[in-house]
Amino acid sequence: MIGFRLSAQRRLPDARRIKHDVIMRFDHVYEVDPDLMQVYPQQEIPPWDTHRIVDSKWDHLDWMHQHFADRVVSAKELGLDPKYLGDDARESNGH
Amino acid sequence: MTSVLPSPTPVAERVYDELVDILGEANVLVDRPARYNRTRVPSPFPVHRWNDHVPDVVVLPESTEQVVEIVKLANRTKTPIVPRAAGTGLADGAVPLRHGILLDVKRMNRIWDLDTQNYTVNVGPGVNMLKLNEFLQPHGLFYPDNPASYPCSMVGGRIGTSGWSLIGARYGHTKDLVLSMEVVLPTGEVIEVGSGGGRKLRKASTALTLKELFFGHQGTLGITTNATLSLHPRPEAEFAAFFAYPDYDTAYRSCGALSKSGLASMAGVVLFDERKLDYLRRDDEAYIEQPSDVVAVNAVALYGTEDEVVPAARRILQIGYDTGGRYLGDEVSQGDWAARHDRYAIPLHGRLREGAGGPAVGRAGQVVPMSWHCEDAAINYTELPAVREKWHAIADRYIERYGIFDDWGMFAYTNGSHSPYGDYLVEIDIGIWEQELNDENWAAWTACKKEIAQVAIDHGGSITACHGATRAGEVDLVPQELGGAFEVMKSIKRMLDPNNIMNPGKYLFDQAYEGAP
Repeated sequence: MIGFRLSAQRRLPDARRIKHDVIMRFDHVYEVDPDLMQVYPQQEIPPWDTHRIVDSKWDHLDWMHQHFADRVVSAKELGLDPKYLGDDARESNGH
Repeated sequence: MTSVLPSPTPVAERVYDELVDILGEANVLVDRPARYNRTRVPSPFPVHRWNDHVPDVVVLPESTEQVVEIVKLANRTKTPIVPRAAGTGLADGAVPLRHGILLDVKRMNRIWDLDTQNYTVNVGPGVNMLKLNEFLQPHGLFYPDNPASYPCSMVGGRIGTSGWSLIGARYGHTKDLVLSMEVVLPTGEVIEVGSGGGRKLRKASTALTLKELFFGHQGTLGITTNATLSLHPRPEAEFAAFFAYPDYDTAYRSCGALSKSGLASMAGVVLFDERKLDYLRRDDEAYIEQPSDVVAVNAVALYGTEDEVVPAARRILQIGYDTGGRYLGDEVSQGDWAARHDRYAIPLHGRLREGAGGPAVGRAGQVVPMSWHCEDAAINYTELPAVREKWHAIADRYIERYGIFDDWGMFAYTNGSHSPYGDYLVEIDIGIWEQELNDENWAAWTACKKEIAQVAIDHGGSITACHGATRAGEVDLVPQELGGAFEVMKSIKRMLDPNNIMNPGKYLFDQAYEGAP
């Protein structure tokens, strides 16, 4: 198990620069530019653990919703003119 | 003394044996971790003066009778006593100023009585709202006290700080939701306060109403040992909408329109300014990606039956669009709203500003761990733009000079119980690099807070909507904000607590004892 973790940790993908102070190694996972983490260096996290944390975030948010109501109403189900749906309408139109 | 103390203090030596007689040895803690871990709360803390605040002894009672005996002992020996629930407060009510006994209510966590006919539940002060709602859910019931510390804060702390709820515009805040409570006074007497004499009443008119006196006192007037809470039907449906705007002014006007929609299912509207979005993008680990053209945001939440929420959701989307907003989509709206219930699971960090002095010199843009100051003034809608400009200007001055602070932006939340309009809980969140604190930086920080609080008062507001105004700096302005009412409060404090044992030093109440024999 430890060997798997160590080998996984060595296979970090190359970073893409998103902004002057932000990089991205995995889609939708933003990271502070490591050059800006010199005072407090960034913790080394293997890819599998990054994916676990990102995926569990949505599980956590779903779990939290369940504490407050039986169901969450979506804007898409309201039968409104697409102009009211903003970014969701843009996505469905392929923008 | 019958037991060997790992790190005895003179105060602990004086009261330890009697405390063990009351509670048993397992519930009287004098070891360093137990005491040091209960010294601070999440609000900025003078870590360089940690030892000034460490309690001498920690006690963990399980019953009202034990609390009575502990308080009587404290009163007889004139030992300071500070009640503490979850210790999640963003003011420092639970931070001891004079050491003494720290009374931790976490073991008073029983749910005593659920009344499904009258919609009430009776609980101990150590009950957490998330766990309470997990208990209530199978009964179709809901306790809607919903702070950003929902998964970890406790009923006792909510009462002590007079807490504010994210969904208070629909359901009310803590003071509305607690129907009655049992309070151990500083001399050991036990009273029950509520509306009239009944424990489960939502409205009565018999004589004076004392209940609100015991909300927000920050442990200075007594210890709540039991509370009866008002329950609601569990909501069938929730709808959250986040709207994007090209500028703050448009978002501000839209916020006013959304909050005045007249919808009964409206639980809250939150206005995020540009600096808040900048902070969320760069340093908030709960952030869900928003388009780069978004400059300001309004968030709206609705709760109720499905027949209420679905048509109300249509109305809200139309108002948002008609007032210049663009719906940010279901993923952002639903996800970000869910994250608002839990802001305590997130590691906090900020940036050192380019051109700032102090430890920021040569480290521009570097990420450092910071603690969270949440200024939480209550401000009227018409004053929001002016207060926003002044607060950011104050923060900028201190950031540039001292280099250990970071402006995390501003929120404005609808503030009134059942009335989502007119006044707002207005936050400026400021990060503090605590490891760099020394006497000079701490003095600067308290001066900064005082300036910020003064702006709130100057604009006809209150220093605090939800956390309490006990923090160093701003507490100096409490007499100015309250005027003659503060003199009455001091009289009440001295009458109820003749020996000034309950959380002494807080709220300038020492003034009540000046010149006393």
